[in-house]
Amino acid sequence: MKARRVKRLDPEGTLADNARRIAAVRLKELRSFAPRALDPAEVDALHDMRIAAKRLRYVLEITESALGPAAREGAKSAKRLQDLLGEIHDCDVMLPRVHAHTDRLRSEDTRWVRQAAGSRAKDLAPSATRSAPNRARYRGLETLAVYLSARRTVLFDRFLREWEALEAGGFAARLTEGISPAPAESGPGLSPRAPEPAAPPGGAGP
Amino acid sequence: MARARRIPGLGPGTRFGDAAAAAVEVRAAEVFEHSGGVLDTGDIERVHAMRVSTRRLRAALEVFAVCFPRKEHKSVLRDVKALADALGERRDPDVALAALAGVAAELTRADRSGINSLVTELRENQQHGNAGLEQALERAKESRLEERLAALAGAARSPDPAAGGGLPAGAVPPLAIGAVPPSDAITP
Repeated sequence: MKARRVKRLDPEGTLADNARRIAAVRLKELRSFAPRALDPAEVDALHDMRIAAKRLRYVLEITESALGPAAREGAKSAKRLQDLLGEIHDCDVMLPRVHAHTDRLRSEDTRWVRQAAGSRAKDLAPSATRSAPNRARYRGLETLAVYLSARRTVLFDRFLREWEALEAGGFAARLTEGISPAPAESGPGLSPRAPEPAAPPGGAGP
Repeated sequence: MARARRIPGLGPGTRFGDAAAAAVEVRAAEVFEHSGGVLDTGDIERVHAMRVSTRRLRAALEVFAVCFPRKEHKSVLRDVKALADALGERRDPDVALAALAGVAAELTRADRSGINSLVTELRENQQHGNAGLEQALERAKESRLEERLAALAGAARSPDPAAGGGLPAGAVPPLAIGAVPPSDAITP
């Protein structure tokens, strides 16, 4: 997922002003995935939301000394979300791998049993499968697939609860407010309490 | 897991370009400090530590992108991404193997046979990932990635740091490359 462009960043400006701009865009980006990512079938949206959480976390961590305790708390929340979405992603990656592996074993066994029957066989007895080399492996792989599917559901339900708790707790508003400049602080920033700075050259952002 | 080092000298009033220089210097140093022994598949934490460090470096390069010369930044970021991808190709089977070991330990003996066959496949992926990582490390060395990162950081710093540069009054200058880092750390 390509990160959204952050406008009006200024290398000559202060770390705090620039960091607020980046954090605001990354926070908005994270929340923009929520409607789709709340559907368990939207695997790509969940993956994109994880990347967005990671980007928010890193910008808050790296600028924490400029943005203060709210950034530290925001980074922790983003990390918790990133980790949980990462666990879901691991299930989404592993499950197709298990299915693909099972399919390969099944194809191998099919070829084996067919060959064992001989080229001129008129029919095939069920007992021919007793010699299939992978016959003892399917049970464990199916059990693993069941476990991964069920775990994915458990983790997704937990994600829903945690996301709803974040939203209900005003995570975004608290972070935005917490990293806004204090009234006495000089210099422009993102806060509605401060005016927007003039646009410097460039504008490509993280 | 590797913990990120605190970047010294950063405060609200630090010039953004100087913060960029400090962040890239510290994060780049972490990457290369963790490069020893990463090809050892018997110790999967080494590759994990380097991968996390590379991800943090990449984040710093992206967060502070506007502070760097565009062409050099693009080239360095591309090479850091390539290194990160190679570390990921090695790390992904490491993680899957560890997860499968945990699952297998809690299943019945009859179920373990199937899981072991998947483990064999993942071990092959791990070896393939290791070969790719070896090439990526060699490419990073040949392309002098470490030196290019240092030059990139230098280009972001204010022109005359000896005279105070862009640092606000009272701010501590960023850590020089090779300096002994502080022992404190931030969230991993």
